[in-house]
Amino acid sequence: MCPSRLPFFDPRKARGPRRGPDVGSDVTAELTGGTGAAPPSALSVTALVMRIKAALAEAFPQRITVVGEISNFKLHSSGHLYFRLKDDGAAIDAAMWRQSAAKLRFKPYDGLEVVVEGRVDMYEARGQLQLYVEQMTPKGAGALELAFRQLKEKLQKEGLFEQAAKKPIPPFPRAIGLVTSQTGAAIRDIRQTLRRRWSGIPTYLVPVAVQGEGSAAAIAEAIGLLDAQAGRYQIDTIILARGGGSMEDLWAFNEEIVARAVFAARTPIICGVGHEVDVTIADMVADLRAATPTAAAELAVPDSRDILRHLATCQNRLTRSLRDQMTSCAQCLASASRSVVFRDPTWRLRSHAQRLDELSHRLRADLGHLLAAHRRRLEPLTGRLAGLHPAALAQRARGRLERLTGRLAWALGGRSKRAGEALSVLAGRLGSATPAHRIRLLRQHLDGAARQLESMSYRSVLQRGFSVTRGSDGEILRSALAARAGQQITTELIDGRIASRVEGDSAAAQAAPLPETPAAAPRKRRDKTTHTTGPSLFGPEGET
Amino acid sequence: MEQEKLTFEKALERLEKIVSEIEGGKVPLEQSIEKYADGIGLIKQCRAILETAEQKIKLLTKGEGQSLEISGELEESEDSEAV
Repeated sequence: MCPSRLPFFDPRKARGPRRGPDVGSDVTAELTGGTGAAPPSALSVTALVMRIKAALAEAFPQRITVVGEISNFKLHSSGHLYFRLKDDGAAIDAAMWRQSAAKLRFKPYDGLEVVVEGRVDMYEARGQLQLYVEQMTPKGAGALELAFRQLKEKLQKEGLFEQAAKKPIPPFPRAIGLVTSQTGAAIRDIRQTLRRRWSGIPTYLVPVAVQGEGSAAAIAEAIGLLDAQAGRYQIDTIILARGGGSMEDLWAFNEEIVARAVFAARTPIICGVGHEVDVTIADMVADLRAATPTAAAELAVPDSRDILRHLATCQNRLTRSLRDQMTSCAQCLASASRSVVFRDPTWRLRSHAQRLDELSHRLRADLGHLLAAHRRRLEPLTGRLAGLHPAALAQRARGRLERLTGRLAWALGGRSKRAGEALSVLAGRLGSATPAHRIRLLRQHLDGAARQLESMSYRSVLQRGFSVTRGSDGEILRSALAARAGQQITTELIDGRIASRVEGDSAAAQAAPLPETPAAAPRKRRDKTTHTTGPSLFGPEGET
Repeated sequence: MEQEKLTFEKALERLEKIVSEIEGGKVPLEQSIEKYADGIGLIKQCRAILETAEQKIKLLTKGEGQSLEISGELEESEDSEAV
């Protein structure tokens, strides 16, 4: 191959320290060198690679932009990226140094179509053609969109957007903390909104750069500090805000460091970044998402006009209620004053007086009953007590003594009297001891005996319940057989006589049962018209 | 004086409680009058908080260690002309 036709070899253009005339003459010498082991025309590998390198620099003097698909992607621990960029027809190795790779907001991966910017050069050690990538953007969606999507997926998996993790915003904050730029639309809008809604709310601003290099770290730090110092300033709501801008401008709010700071804060955070259409990662992590900074301020504090209206309502309700109550009390008072108690103050007194009378009457009656009852119980007791009185006891003892004295006197008197009587009997006996008197006595004695004898004849038997029946001739009927029908008989009893008439024809016939058993006798005796007295004068069944 | 320590939220809560108590009609008149006075006091207090005219934003900057110190007030002009 003719060296002069090599597209990358043009000695005339070979300038610079690495392409000095010496090199050129060496090459010429080698090319025109003689035969043998090392002809003078032979190139060293280094010389070759260098010549290629020089030719490449000649051909691609500036950075080039290449479109291709990433494959064999490797992130080395050094931070450098190595991959192959390919399309349907060819492939080329590529490397991206750490300094450039650090600026990437997305993570390249195999299959991702990218647009890379860089230089083509030789890796001398391996004689390898490489694309040194300085910038890389995803084809189509763009780097930020991709980065956004990737971080969103990551944090979502970790649960940073979970609704359950979101803290409630106080309805009436005590103080508001702001993290935003000291200059810009956001702070102006927020200030105006706060002033409009609740001008008195204490507000603190931690000024931060909201875009550019290091802004994400500054925002994250401000959030952390404000959260840590919230108690000191009574801050119970933090607003994280930024005015509208491009996605690049808002990028700090899509950084992981900011998302993590928002998530870690214990103070509730309202995030209002950009315009309505902009949704940042910080918005999603925040406890409350506001479309704009103005909206964030509106969500942070209530509208004082609403509250003032509410206060006015409260005041009206208070006043009306109190007035109602007073009116009602006044009505109560009026109606009470119309009551009988006030119209006739003594009414109740009289009523009480009547009741008192009634009660005292009942009391008296009850007392009377009670007294009577007690008296009834007392009386016998009094009697018994009186009996036990010493005077009574003495009285009784005296009585007994008198009786005993009497008996004693009588006993003594009786004996002397009886002694006297015995003496007079003896005197009498002594007097009657004359003969005449003796005869008289004997006669008298005899007469008595005669009378006694007479009376002893049968009367004593009559005395025992028997009777004597005599016939009309005065003869005693000694047998029933002696009785004649129609005969008049007289029955003599101890105290008198009964005159009777015998009935029936034959006394003998009637008298026949007489000797029979005594059982027949009662029948006969019951016959009142026939008073027959049999010879049972000495029988046991004699009848009076 | 105790009421001054109340946060706005607590004051409002108390006020609403007083209103409903008086409206409930179960409080004796004497207490109603007392509560009414309390309620009116709370309303005044809340109004005073709400009607503070001047809205100020204090600036906090990082001081010693991790503390934030008040370094001034945000000037009115600072934000008025910004984008």
